[in-house]
Order: sequence, then structure tokens, then C-alpha cells
Amino acid sequence: MSDPALLATPLLWLTVTLGVFEIFDTLSKRCDRHPLLHPVLWSTPVLIALLLASRTSYETYKAATFPVSFLLGPAVVGLAVPVWRERARIRRLAIPIVLALGAGAVTSIVSAVGVLALFGAPREILASIAPRATTTPVAMAVAGQLGGVPALAAVIVLFAGVFGAMVATPLLNVLGLGDYRARGFALGVAAHGIGTARAFQVDATAGAMASLAMALNAVVTAALLSVVALLV
Amino acid sequence: MRIAEHVSPCFIPVMLRAIFLLLACQLAGEAIHRITSLPLPGAVIGMVLLVGWLALVPRERPTLTVVTGWLTAHLSIMFVPAAVGLIEEGPVLSRYGVGLVTATVASTLLTLIVTALVFRWAFARFAPEGEA
Repeated sequence: MSDPALLATPLLWLTVTLGVFEIFDTLSKRCDRHPLLHPVLWSTPVLIALLLASRTSYETYKAATFPVSFLLGPAVVGLAVPVWRERARIRRLAIPIVLALGAGAVTSIVSAVGVLALFGAPREILASIAPRATTTPVAMAVAGQLGGVPALAAVIVLFAGVFGAMVATPLLNVLGLGDYRARGFALGVAAHGIGTARAFQVDATAGAMASLAMALNAVVTAALLSVVALLV
Repeated sequence: MRIAEHVSPCFIPVMLRAIFLLLACQLAGEAIHRITSLPLPGAVIGMVLLVGWLALVPRERPTLTVVTGWLTAHLSIMFVPAAVGLIEEGPVLSRYGVGLVTATVASTLLTLIVTALVFRWAFARFAPEGEA
């Protein structure tokens, strides 16, 4: 491991990243995609340990894995496809969708920033949690633009997704909310991609509503925070 | 996904067109982001542009569906490099870890409850025909 030439090529860390992720992804698949076994949750600490053990700087790692992270942008643009596919449903349910989305997005931002402010967190930490309900790439971009820490935003979003996916079913049952449209939509707004994956496991309608909610919330939360950023 | 299973050579140029469309939308989004200095991320603007494009030129787009489906299915691994960036955030985590967990838990619970209740209320109040 001491050959600097090999350590410096992007090939090494790209291969290691795909390999480590693949191991945990297989494990997650075997366990029926349980939220607690989300592959990012496990591959991140393993990769951090490998970087520390090999004394590799994050700078080097980040540059090496650029081909993977670059795909985030086109993936976000691609969220347009489910929105377009569900256009008939959007038109039919326009009022509930607009009201629930607006209420959910505002609740998410205000409660996350509000509670964290009680702990005396500075602005850059608050900016990292504000977009916590959006899908990870959007949260990272928004956090970065608000002066937050993209890595922190990524991990907060991940945690919110895992937690939301786990509590949604029991919580919504307690509230007596049986409608799969409302349940799926709430999961998509509150817990983005991981919530959406969970919704698809429960019911196809809930899944469609969740992916729609995730895509719309990415735009609404980003827009709301843009306005806030201009004012503050 | 059934199209991806037997990709024929003549399918590749169409695939490139779908990739081009995604990149072009993102590029235009980034340009708008920079020119207007709108804090909305370029990719999000690109997504809105793509919805607009799909509405302007409506036709069947099986390849675009396959390409975006593939990207969405592999979204998780794309943010691993960013999450590894936590390696540099040790002090922040040890100082605000409890606050971050509390705020995330509270916000996720509240958002789930508020969104679901508002959706149900609005649905009952403005019940659309044929969807009840």
C-alpha cells in the first residue's frame, strides 16, 4: 500500500468505493431492504476507516470518486420523468398536493432549524439541516449555497430517511390515516428517496405518490430556502 | 426496465440522445443559476426545464425512462463520496451531534404528521370527482 503512484490514481478509490458499496448493497437486498441496512449507512464508515488507515486525504478521495458523484446532477434532472408521468394524478389531486406539500415543506424547515437553534448551533450547521427533507443531492447543493456543509447535509438527510421509513407505518396507523395516497405523499415529503423505497414496498399507489412528493419537494424546499437566503 | 435487458446496437444512439437531453437541461440550469445568481441549484432548475421540455414536445420516450430509471436506482452510491466527507467534520459532530439527531427526529415526525393530515383534510374538503 506504500506505492504512491497507485494510491494517487483515481482507479484505486473508485474501485474500492464500488466494491464496498456492492457488499452492503447485496446484504441490504438479502434482508428485504430494511432501512437500517441502507448501504450508504454502512459503506460510509467503512470507507472512512479505510481512508484513515491508509492515511489518504479526503481531497484525494473526493477527486478520485468524482465520476460517481458527477452523476448526481443528471439524476436530479431525471426526477422530471416521474413528475411528467404522474401529470394526470397531479391535475386531479392538485389542491391536496399543493396544500400538503406547502405545509410539509415549511414544517420540515422550521422545525429542524428551530430545534437545532435551541442547541446553539451556528449558521453553517443550521444551513446544513434546513434542506433535510429533500433528496440528498438537492440537500447537498442547497446546503452548500446557504453556507452550510454538504457532507453534513448528506448524512442528516440519510438519517432522516432511515428514521422516517421506519416510523411511518406505526405512526400513521396511530393517527388513523388509512389512505395510501396521503401516507405515500407524507413519506415522500418527510423522508425523500428512502421513504419512497419504503412506500413502494407497502403499496404501489403509496409509492407513486411518494416519488412524486419527493420530486416536487426538491423544487419547493429549494425555492423556499432560496427566498430565505435572499432575505437573511 | 424490460428495454434495458436486450439493448440492440441501434438503441445506443437513442440512449445518447437521452443522456444529452439530461446534460443539456442541467447545463442550461447551471447557466441560469449563474446568470441570475438564483440560489436554486442548477440541477433543480434543470429538472424544471426538463418537465417543460417534455410538455412542449410530448412523445413516447422509452429510452429517457430507462436512463433516468437507471440513475434513480443508483442514486445511493452517488452520494457516498459526499457522505465520506464527514471525515473532516469530527468536531462539529461531537459538539452538535445530540442537537442534530434531536432536530432531525423532531422534524421528520412533525413533517410526516402535518403532511398526511393536511393531505387528508384537503382531499376530503375539495374531494375531486372520480378519486374518492
